[in-house]
Amino acid sequence: MTSAEEKPPIVLDEPDREFVEMIKRTGGPNIQSCYQCGTCSGSCPAGARTNFLVRGIIRKALLGMKQECISAPELWYCTTCYTCTDRCPQDVKPTDVIKAIRNIAVQEGYMLQNHQKVAQKVLETGHAVPLDKESWQKLREKVGLEPIPPNASRFPEAIADVVKIAKKTHFDKLVEDKDEDEE
Amino acid sequence: MPETRIGVFLCHCGSNIAGVVDIPAVMEEVKDIPDVVHVEDYKYVCSKPGQQILKDKIKEHRLNRIVIGACSPRMHELTFRQTMREGGLNPFLLEIANLREHDSWIHSNDPEAATEKAVDLVRMAVARARLLEPLEETEVDIRKSTLVVGGGIAGISAALDLADAGFKVYLVEREPSIGGKMARHDKTFPTLDCSSCILTPRMAEAGAHPNIQILTMAEVESVDGYVGNFEVTVRQHPRYVIQDKCTSCGDCSEVCPVDVPAEFDANLTYRKAIYIPFAQAVPSAYLLDMNSCLGVDAVRCGKCKDACEAEAINYDDTEKLIRLEVGTIIVATGFDVFDATQKEEYGYGEFANVVNIMEIERMLSAAGPTEGHVVRPSDFREPQKIVYIQCVGSRDEKTNRYCSRICCMTAIKQARMIRDKTGADIYLFYIDLRTFGKGYEEFYEETASAGVTFIRGRVGEIIEQSDNSLVVRGEDTLLSKPIQLEDVDLVVLSTGVVPSRGAKELAKILNLSQSPDGFLMEAHPKLRPVDSFNDGIFVAGMAQGPKDIPDTVAQAKAASSGAMSLMGKGRISVEPYYTVVDEDKCAGCRVCVSVCPYNAVTINERGKAQVNPALCKGCGTCTSTCPSGAMKSQHYTDGQISAMIKEYLSVHE
Repeated sequence: MTSAEEKPPIVLDEPDREFVEMIKRTGGPNIQSCYQCGTCSGSCPAGARTNFLVRGIIRKALLGMKQECISAPELWYCTTCYTCTDRCPQDVKPTDVIKAIRNIAVQEGYMLQNHQKVAQKVLETGHAVPLDKESWQKLREKVGLEPIPPNASRFPEAIADVVKIAKKTHFDKLVEDKDEDEE
Repeated sequence: MPETRIGVFLCHCGSNIAGVVDIPAVMEEVKDIPDVVHVEDYKYVCSKPGQQILKDKIKEHRLNRIVIGACSPRMHELTFRQTMREGGLNPFLLEIANLREHDSWIHSNDPEAATEKAVDLVRMAVARARLLEPLEETEVDIRKSTLVVGGGIAGISAALDLADAGFKVYLVEREPSIGGKMARHDKTFPTLDCSSCILTPRMAEAGAHPNIQILTMAEVESVDGYVGNFEVTVRQHPRYVIQDKCTSCGDCSEVCPVDVPAEFDANLTYRKAIYIPFAQAVPSAYLLDMNSCLGVDAVRCGKCKDACEAEAINYDDTEKLIRLEVGTIIVATGFDVFDATQKEEYGYGEFANVVNIMEIERMLSAAGPTEGHVVRPSDFREPQKIVYIQCVGSRDEKTNRYCSRICCMTAIKQARMIRDKTGADIYLFYIDLRTFGKGYEEFYEETASAGVTFIRGRVGEIIEQSDNSLVVRGEDTLLSKPIQLEDVDLVVLSTGVVPSRGAKELAKILNLSQSPDGFLMEAHPKLRPVDSFNDGIFVAGMAQGPKDIPDTVAQAKAASSGAMSLMGKGRISVEPYYTVVDEDKCAGCRVCVSVCPYNAVTINERGKAQVNPALCKGCGTCTSTCPSGAMKSQHYTDGQISAMIKEYLSVHE
């Protein structure tokens, strides 16, 4: 347990109201109906094994505690299985709320390294999981497929198009390597 | 026709209207309208001094039409009509422009537009006022008898109050006995009074009362007529046992070879095909469930008839249609328990040891299927670890949005009783505990002191183990940690309440409105809580919305006093809003007959439409459908309405 010194009270002098509005627009229109019953966290397979707590994140969002929501590593522990959304009695759609918060987090520069690596792989090869082993080509031939599928693997010039889209949408900026000390 | 002299009175309603609408500007615009001879404003026109101003100005300016710009006519139309009478004018020469609900309240963010709209509303009101005609209110006789639909504690209470006051009561109940859900409860919260000990004396009193006629196994088939003069048809299903002859000895039941689940005991035990639902049933008579009976002839069975010494059994009994004439109607159709199979994650109906609160209630009853012992249905063992889950089928967007109000206290009461009896570990998961009534909070605290554990959180899921024990998963939201209880013997779902089956049909028969949740709608949520929109018809108890026994009885008393105040007078006046027929124009096409929602139009012996003024609500459906313009809605004539539209368009075109 933490001591009093390590656990300062929550300060709500300047709650970020725009944060909740943004979540309502981008995935969780009913977030303000949440009455904090905990059905979501009580049903959550990720929460049973980690310190991920859906209800806690929704509570923080409702209090306008944006930084706490988007900077928490647990935000990325949700497997989007949608069990909470099935069971939520207030139709809050917690999974979609988490996804909306994730989008905001990424916009603000918070992204898990694994996700970032995958995204960079897409810009590099046109695929999240590129066909980069010779054994896979053999495997394809064995089951009667062309060794290289008709996608960016066969047409590397298409990668330029992917990069073009990424530049236009600023996706490239979102996923580029940040300074280590920002972590 | 004398000269039209209209007086316009604008009410500030404190700052409700004047805080948004620029009253002086409206007065300036209104004063030059033709026929308007006087314009005046006042802080509260509805007040005594405000009404005096109205009366004084009627005399001073010889006004013969009044326009009041104020709140909704639903609030003060009757007040101002009385003022008109006192001022010597026919009360129907009044028109109210709704400057509050229709204007200042909804346009408070745009005062300029609100002011413009106020001018329009008053101009239109003046246009209609010019064409208003004096109308006379008619009086009708009212019968001194009441139909009470539903024989639960609400219906019984209302019936007894009315019967004691000298009115004849017909108490119609669908089940074979009166008593309703309260008869199935073991104890009542927060006093732990024995439910049947306080209910059955009332049932017996109703059964024996000379002014009460109880019709069980009966349903309302149709209702015609209007306040004071309802004609009711009741369909009574055959009992196959002659009520007056049956001595309730039980000899018939003893020889009956059939066992079927007992509805009264939440299907936790069996009854015979010929049975009495419970010992204190009123009427105290057996009945034969013909659907379960093997056969009434000697070849197939017929044992019960042989066994009955009183010769009370009549296999040839048939359905009866009973016609009743009553002055008022009280609807007290109660509720049903929410069907928990809709919440799949809780496994009700699938896991043997997941039950609902009504089943526990029967187990707790000494007269119930387990003689007062709560058991695990899978092996009839006494449970050591019990979990209660609140708000099952309540406060839930996927089932019912409303709070069922009684489940918190019912669950706390049961938990307390089980804890006291067996010392079992009880965990009660809740979202919010609503212990609102007198003595309820204290009861909750005492239950916590007795060792029942309250956990703030709604259970996410239940998993069944191989020995039929259960794993319950949820979150302790106060600790912000998932919580998992293993080897739980019994899970009790605090199932909420839903409107009783058949409430919808009855609402249709009686022309009653239902709110979106299916409960019957009251005429005003605060000031007319037991009146329906239909004069002479009242609602009481759970039929109107979830409530506990004290509130139910209070409503029953309110409904019976409402019925008494109507019937006590013997005569009531009917508003002259009804439609009149111009027989010269009527072609007898019957379109009006088919569209009238109140069955108020018939065809007379001359082949023309005829409106029953007491049935007609003045809704105007016939007026707008009549192809030859023969129907005229008094007080809302086509001429008056088109004058208002014309007046509006004359400026805005």
